[in-house]
Amino acid sequence: MRPDLPWFCTKQALSMGVAAALSVATLAACSSSSSSSPNASSSSSPSSSSANKSPISIGASLSLTGDFSDEGVAFQKGYELWQSDVNAHGGILGRQVKLTILDDKSDPTQVQTNYQTLINSDRVDLLFGPFSSLLTTPSDSVAARAGYALVEGAGGTEAVFTNPANEADKNIFDVSLPVRDYFKPFIDWISSLPASQRPKTAAYPMADDPFGSGPVQPVQAQLTALGVKTVYTKIFPEENSSYKPAADQVAAAKPDLVILGSTDVPTVQAFVQAFKQQHFNPKIFLAAAGPDQGAAFTSAVGKGNAQGIMVPNGWYPGYQNASSQAMVQAYVAKNGGTASDVNANVAEAYAVGQIVADAVTATGGTDNAKIISYLHAGHTFQTVQGAVTFDNLGRNTAGLAYIFQWQQNGTQFSQVLPIGSTGSVPIIATKPNWTG
Amino acid sequence: MAAEIYRAIADGILIGGVYALMAVGLTLIFGVLDIINIAQGVLVVLGAYLSYSLSARLHLDLFVGLLVTVPAMFVIGVVIHYAFIRRLRGQERTAMTLLVTYAVALIIEGILYEIYGPNYKELNASYVTNSVHMLGFYLPYIYLYGFALALALVAVLYAMLYRTRFGRSVRATMQDETAARLIGIDVNKVAAITFGVGVAVTATGGMMFGATNGGFNPNSGYDLISRLLAIIILGGMGSIGGALAASIFMLTVESLVTIWSPQWAIIVFYAALVIVLVVRPTGFFGRAPVRAQ
Amino acid sequence: MKASTVKASTVKASTVKPSTTTLKLAGLVVLAAVAVAFPYVYSSPVNTNYGVYALIFVTVASAWNIFSGFSGYISLGQAVFFGTGAYTVGIAARDWHMNGDGIFLLLPLGAVVATAIAVPFGLIALRVRRHTFIVITIAVFFIFQLMAYDFWFTGGTIGLPAPFLPWQAATFNNPFYFMALGTAAVTIALAWLIRRSKFGLQLRAIKDDEDRALGLGVRTMRVKLSAFMLSAFITGFIGGVWFLYITQVLPSSGYDPLFDLTIVLMAFLGGVGTIAGPVIGALLIEPGRLWLTTRSNIGWLANGYVSEILLGALFLLIVLFVPRGIVPTGREWIKKLRSRGRPAISPAGAAEQAAPAGSRR
Repeated sequence: MRPDLPWFCTKQALSMGVAAALSVATLAACSSSSSSSPNASSSSSPSSSSANKSPISIGASLSLTGDFSDEGVAFQKGYELWQSDVNAHGGILGRQVKLTILDDKSDPTQVQTNYQTLINSDRVDLLFGPFSSLLTTPSDSVAARAGYALVEGAGGTEAVFTNPANEADKNIFDVSLPVRDYFKPFIDWISSLPASQRPKTAAYPMADDPFGSGPVQPVQAQLTALGVKTVYTKIFPEENSSYKPAADQVAAAKPDLVILGSTDVPTVQAFVQAFKQQHFNPKIFLAAAGPDQGAAFTSAVGKGNAQGIMVPNGWYPGYQNASSQAMVQAYVAKNGGTASDVNANVAEAYAVGQIVADAVTATGGTDNAKIISYLHAGHTFQTVQGAVTFDNLGRNTAGLAYIFQWQQNGTQFSQVLPIGSTGSVPIIATKPNWTG
Repeated sequence: MAAEIYRAIADGILIGGVYALMAVGLTLIFGVLDIINIAQGVLVVLGAYLSYSLSARLHLDLFVGLLVTVPAMFVIGVVIHYAFIRRLRGQERTAMTLLVTYAVALIIEGILYEIYGPNYKELNASYVTNSVHMLGFYLPYIYLYGFALALALVAVLYAMLYRTRFGRSVRATMQDETAARLIGIDVNKVAAITFGVGVAVTATGGMMFGATNGGFNPNSGYDLISRLLAIIILGGMGSIGGALAASIFMLTVESLVTIWSPQWAIIVFYAALVIVLVVRPTGFFGRAPVRAQ
Repeated sequence: MKASTVKASTVKASTVKPSTTTLKLAGLVVLAAVAVAFPYVYSSPVNTNYGVYALIFVTVASAWNIFSGFSGYISLGQAVFFGTGAYTVGIAARDWHMNGDGIFLLLPLGAVVATAIAVPFGLIALRVRRHTFIVITIAVFFIFQLMAYDFWFTGGTIGLPAPFLPWQAATFNNPFYFMALGTAAVTIALAWLIRRSKFGLQLRAIKDDEDRALGLGVRTMRVKLSAFMLSAFITGFIGGVWFLYITQVLPSSGYDPLFDLTIVLMAFLGGVGTIAGPVIGALLIEPGRLWLTTRSNIGWLANGYVSEILLGALFLLIVLFVPRGIVPTGREWIKKLRSRGRPAISPAGAAEQAAPAGSRR
């Protein structure tokens, strides 16, 4: 082949020039078009008569596709429900709320780009947090530097609160219960039982995830101190070829109590299926997550099989709280289904909106610095999830942990622990056998 | 302890059958057509959704439903090949099929999200949760049926490859495409049909996956593809029996290691894969490459 | 008329040769000026954010191309080096209690560790044929991802955070932009130097026919391994830069299978094996997909799933219609344009004679 270097190089330079020009043009188009069209909302704000007050714009990035999509979409419904409720009641300080939600595909690079876009292109007044602790750190770096508060409902692991940006700027506020406190009422209940009635043996299969092993590991230490013998404790990867081998091992150990560190419905469903196949029925069965997903859970395992299964949470559809009841009714009116179908993520998202509304009303505007100081001032707020007070790193210290259980043949999701707490019904102490 | 080990081995074999059903299509496509079908994971999920629709809407039994989903996926496979893969030529063909199948995977996943949404679905039947008590173990019916199906499928594919004229064309193309063309084999047709067959058998894998995985949504395919690729390389590209053997091997290794540490189970498998490949680059049953690479 | 045509073409022919070098230099200067000026002209963090990610991918795609593009061994394990660079910086910053601007000194450490890993990785993987090579890279990639999940010092699923840099929000991105730009420029220059060196020739020989190259005395393992290690070094370095920018590394983000596929797509889109190819591919794809996703809630795109379908369709169109990549295809088009009406291959000398004979220009 003829050595053709001079032509080669020229065309290289030319083509690189073309590429650079193209990219610059694309980016210029991005920046100019996005700054000239800041009204990219995924839900239209209803027309209102507040013509002399500009709308409050709020931006959020959510995982509408990708790994967290099923919960991200539930969160979106919660944010949007809050927005339509607030606007129907005249908005905040008489101003309508405009909500922009971007999809981050459950990807940290995209979530950072989204918040950059919301802050610098769309120039939103306020931010709502993303879904998942894994996405909160990169979001917070962007938000903290730009001086925004980040109120969120789905990032409750310690790493979120101790992430360097939050330690420096203290701008994270988690409205939900911190992970480490999830199982407290259950432990209290076990210790309240006489020794002869406590479960003798326990198994702790846990998914390798801060929401899987995070809440369950502290439980193991405390229950062992109460005389419950550990017969199985292993962490398995989130992405598994099959849950069957681990589940079969748990079943073979025949523990009285199984606490499954699950993070989603399929994990619970796979364990339930394996238990049924092995003709094993634990006397007490708790899961860290999954049974709190309403209809998504009962349709997966079957209503009869859901009976007696317990799960910790800060909220449930039947929660005796006026604003929660109103929210549930509004959700059902908007989306159909029944109250039990309402996912806990919806309440978490809704509570985020309520806190932000509170802060804006109290500080008289959308100044983020004032909002941050206000939220750290030790007030107690009331949300659909109950009381909220933030400590200096944004943890919710007023969050009450409850344990819920499926009763009435899997049709009723009831609060059972703490015993004697408002709304608690008698607990089914022994799980009935699986139905078909 | 002995009982635990036997149970782990039994589990490994049975679950291996499920993975074999998912991997066989991939090895056929890879072995014959040199195509790294990254879309295989999504195709498994597609098969699961097709079985779901038949079972939930028309109340068809899962295995009976296969009589519909397998031909349907065959057609889908042929269409994909004709539309996208047939045109790829040139030195970088294998790597380009990687990108094309990735694009197809994205499109299928998006369509599944559109139609079914992100919530998890599952396949239910009485034999999914019932089990037979044998030799001191509970062996679930669904896995036994699935394993039987895997054996049957492997047998059928072998019969097709070694007893039919079409099968001979396929093997000839696999050995040397140019020579096959020269003796009059319509290589394009063979390629399209083989791709279709590969996707068709994936329908069975999809049904088994849907029934045993505890719930699936359009995103479930991503985790599968890496394991399936590892299986077919270990078994030898193009070797159907190898896919079955490698599936059983992988799941048994994982199952055994899970007794001590579930987290390390899959790492041990990948490490074993690398070791085997260093010693025997063509996998368990692969043939030595005849074509110039 | 004839005389003047001859004169014109003579003048043209004699001015063509020297100006190619000038054109080339001018092109590069313009490019460099645009790149350096970009963060000042489009100074909003939104835009520089796209710039940072774009340049990170330009670097990785070019580094990938130095090995895989030149040698023909398609690697799907580039993330091994990327994630290792990120994790090294994260672990070192945590264990040596470093914060503030000094953490940037850890970047070379990330590069060195990645290169160290490339040695056993390469020795094992480069002994097999190309098809098996692809899958070994995939297997090693997953081993690393799983190790990131399971080892005690890597932080598990929640990964590692980067130390907080108390810089101004408005200009935070700029140092990263210039760091990525510098690395990208060095990488491209290296690729160009290698291409015209004996080393590059050996790599191309391996790509064309490895057995023959071996027979001709090329020390194939050594050549392949060297390119592999160089690719690893660059990718490990820029992985550290990425980590400090995004302030977090997770097993799923540092070792992301989609990352590997995207790099390959970028190189193929632009033209694998060329110098400009991966650059063009990265500049088009990375800012493109990030930006498209932020606009995916408008109008008929107001549905994340539709945009995913569109993205897949776009990939397909690219691979099917520009199969050899933009740069080679662009070169062919330019050549076709230039030679319209004239014989295709016409060295400058022949043009002088051909012009008066049958030129229609």
